[in-house]
Amino acid sequence: MARLLDLAISAILLAGLYATMAYGLGLIYGVLRVVNLAHGGVIMAGAYLGWWLHDRLGLDPYLSIPIVVVVAFAFGAVLYRVLVRHLPRGAAGGPASLLLLFGVWLVLRNGAYLLFTGNDHALRTSYSTRALPFLGTWVSVNRVAVLAIALVVPAALHVLLRRTYLGKAIRAVAQNADSCTLVGVDVERIYTVTFGIGTALAGLAGLLSATLFAFNPAFGAGELLKSFVVVVLGGLGSIVGTAVAALILAVIEVFAILVLPSYLTAAVGFVMLVVVLVVRPGGLFGERVLG
Amino acid sequence: MTLAGREPPWRVLAGFAAVVAALAAAPLLLDAYTQNLFTLAFLMIAGALAWNWMGGYVGQVSFGHAAMFGIGGFVAARLMLATPVPAPLAWLAGGLVAGVFALGAHPTLRLRGPYFSIATIGLGEASRLVFTYWERFTGGASGLSLPLVAGGKEALYFWGLALAAAVTAASWAIRRSALGLQLLAIKADVDAAGDVGVSSTFLQDLVFVLSGAVVGLSGALYASYFSFIEPNDMFGFDRSISFVLMCVIGGIGTVLGPVLGAIVFVLLRQFLLASYPQLYLGLYGILLILIILFEPLGLTGLALRVRRRLRRKPPRALHAAGPLASSASANEEGC
Repeated sequence: MARLLDLAISAILLAGLYATMAYGLGLIYGVLRVVNLAHGGVIMAGAYLGWWLHDRLGLDPYLSIPIVVVVAFAFGAVLYRVLVRHLPRGAAGGPASLLLLFGVWLVLRNGAYLLFTGNDHALRTSYSTRALPFLGTWVSVNRVAVLAIALVVPAALHVLLRRTYLGKAIRAVAQNADSCTLVGVDVERIYTVTFGIGTALAGLAGLLSATLFAFNPAFGAGELLKSFVVVVLGGLGSIVGTAVAALILAVIEVFAILVLPSYLTAAVGFVMLVVVLVVRPGGLFGERVLG
Repeated sequence: MTLAGREPPWRVLAGFAAVVAALAAAPLLLDAYTQNLFTLAFLMIAGALAWNWMGGYVGQVSFGHAAMFGIGGFVAARLMLATPVPAPLAWLAGGLVAGVFALGAHPTLRLRGPYFSIATIGLGEASRLVFTYWERFTGGASGLSLPLVAGGKEALYFWGLALAAAVTAASWAIRRSALGLQLLAIKADVDAAGDVGVSSTFLQDLVFVLSGAVVGLSGALYASYFSFIEPNDMFGFDRSISFVLMCVIGGIGTVLGPVLGAIVFVLLRQFLLASYPQLYLGLYGILLILIILFEPLGLTGLALRVRRRLRRKPPRALHAAGPLASSASANEEGC
């Protein structure tokens, strides 16, 4: 029983991270209809940036959040202006955008190899191993902090999309870009900002994962696939749907330990990805992602 | 040159026969190192062409073909280790099992575009994990050593050449056949293709199985070529990407593109791994970005562009032919 409670708690804490990873991918796909394959690379880069800031400048990972978010936003905006803008979108884009962004990922990975070698790194702070007592079990301080941030992110995203003029423009462009041009919305600017926000969220997710897991330049592939599972399962345009989908994925992954040998639990996410795509391409909530 | 697969057949066949004959005679002149490089290129050509049937002809970009490559390799290796069957039979068995395994991807074929691609990443990575930990079959992370093939590397050169030649011929034949047209229709619009009577599900299954079987076959020969295989190399994501890269570099969806791409890929990889091992991933990334942005048909597109430019400026005496000549040449190019 205590074991089940432990697993349930760790599933909830993990779900927060998964949701944060997925928002960026979902936002970019929802507005630009581009699957950002560089997402995993940005998560990896965010992890390294946080680690570097901590290691060289002694900056606490939670204090470096603004820096990582701003740098990732700038990177995303530049990526859009320089590369993604020139691609055909949607179904017409076909494999082109996928392959191009995949190329960006390879470059990011190679950059990380050059700068930091292929060795595993981990972001260790003085409180990394500290835990709080909770319902008769212990919960890592870091995991609680990550969950707290993961709760702030969707709230902020909700305010941005529903309460600001920029958010209104983003939602309008997602619905119909041509009409937006007619009423004077600068569609290209909205695309740039959206790509920037999506990338910033990926960078933030990377920073948060760095406080929990060890990483190397190949880090991010599994994270990309998990984000995709969450986006497809949760449906587009639903912040709550994404959160619930992240929880479902985390619960299945964590509880798989009970029935599967430990080395196979990593495959659960991959199998779930295929099953979800094939069985419920429309997601559980919100707008249908496919077609 | 058979760039688009619409040139007169006799010219193509003559050129093809000449190249194959020259390559069959080449071992007389080549040193062992170059000959081995050729063998590797043959295997990659076969794999890239087979990937192109799915990724180029049907337009379903797979990031998971390493699964079939690995299964072909390990099935053949296990057969050769456990039984006295001759190597070619073990290779065939590896290819067949890989083809059957590809049938398991059937449910993903209803997905289009990025969804299919991402699902194949999932399938490929799941296969890699399962086979890495299935130690009794794959030997786990320490891999398997294979018995030497009768005739050694020399024999493998000719087996590789035969495979590459057969797959090239098949690619050309598919492109020119009714099947090729049906696949093109699926690529252009799967619903419209269904409306005019193209059985898209069956054809995609068929092509995926054939593609998987050939990739499995090239994986099986690759296993014998290296005489040591290891799941993380055979099933790795980098392996899946290599098929995509070869086709993108050479020209996705064309007949000769994957052949060119595989040759460039093998040479480039050899050179980079020897001189700049720390840069080779990023260089592929930059290559990918540049090709997608500037020349989506890769080397083939570049060749067509050069040829078009050459034809646009004919010698003065022929200027009278004017626009007629240029439209005729555009038709001949068939792009």
